[in-house]
Amino acid sequence: MADDVRRWSEELAREPGSLVFLQLADALRRQQQLDLAQKVALRGLERHPHNADAHDLLARIAVDRGDFPRAREEWNAVLRLVPGHAGALKGLGYLSFQQGRVDDAERYLTGAAETDEPSVASALRAVRHASGSYATIANPPIDPVYLPPEPSNDPRRLFETLLVDEGQTALLLDANGLVLGGMYVDAQGADVSQEVGARLSGISDEVRRSTKYLGVGDWRSITFETRGAVVAMAPSEDGGLLVVAASKVTPLGLLRRLLDRCAARASAWLRSGASDREATP
Amino acid sequence: MSASLRPVLETLTRQRGVRASLIVSESDGLVIDSSLRFGQDGERVAALAASVYRKARLSAKAARLGAVTFLQLDAERGRICVAGAGNDLVIVTVADVAANVGLIRMELFKALELIA
Repeated sequence: MADDVRRWSEELAREPGSLVFLQLADALRRQQQLDLAQKVALRGLERHPHNADAHDLLARIAVDRGDFPRAREEWNAVLRLVPGHAGALKGLGYLSFQQGRVDDAERYLTGAAETDEPSVASALRAVRHASGSYATIANPPIDPVYLPPEPSNDPRRLFETLLVDEGQTALLLDANGLVLGGMYVDAQGADVSQEVGARLSGISDEVRRSTKYLGVGDWRSITFETRGAVVAMAPSEDGGLLVVAASKVTPLGLLRRLLDRCAARASAWLRSGASDREATP
Repeated sequence: MSASLRPVLETLTRQRGVRASLIVSESDGLVIDSSLRFGQDGERVAALAASVYRKARLSAKAARLGAVTFLQLDAERGRICVAGAGNDLVIVTVADVAANVGLIRMELFKALELIA
């Protein structure tokens, strides 16, 4: 990734009018260099003011910076340039949901769902669920992680709405390493949940016993880095294990946050008894 | 062998908040050498670190993620960091919760180069 950033920076320096600023700014965004990412995107927009992808990127940078009004403004600009732009509709749906405007969220996501993207369909179901269950609550839920998962949902899609970036995957295992929910998808898109589960079988109990013996108390998480990814694990209920993986460029702090959100989702799902009703093939 | 490894471990154990450093065989969890502060159970740490690292490595292999370079186990009152270079030897540190993991990680990678 660092090599790519260097290469794209050099290319942009050689050709300031190049569209490579889109790749460069997005890479910087993923590395959490948000000020720099915004600077690159804004400079690109000066040269390409009618480029919808540039406005879309600037909106995503704004979301990462917590600047939701700016994100809304940019996504509206995208829709003026390209009506029906799926990314902008998804983004506006997300923002509306964050602000408790469930009807608006549903409207935007309905538009985005026409792209047949599975993540949009899933988000839309969650929003529709919320509009039925939470419409009368004075303060609607801010974070979709706290929405109760749909009881009839495929357990393999348990974490789908929480996994927003490419390369993110999450898997819930029982104490024997058997898959309860989620999926572990490798870089080629193959589901390797069972293999990963088998390899991690028993780790939760073993670590629990050892850390107690060593006098360091209960274990909270295990994080490991590989050449291609970062992986975090946390103990789940009944000796189970939650595994979350993301691309190598994901900062560990963000990975931990994703792990916490998935843990909250898993916990709610297990408490709801959905795991007893449905089994992953 | 131990004579040349000892300074590497002592450098690690001198880091703030580090209670123990060990070089461990990943395949059998046996201690190759260690620098322990009083009260640390080196053999138990070695067995746990090797086992967790091995499971991580095998799961990463199953998911085609490449070799595991660094692993960190966080518990309520301590953390264990492990770095490996894929040659059966792993370096392990046991540290306080407040220890600077970024620094420990860097020192572990430096130490790996020295023992490679």
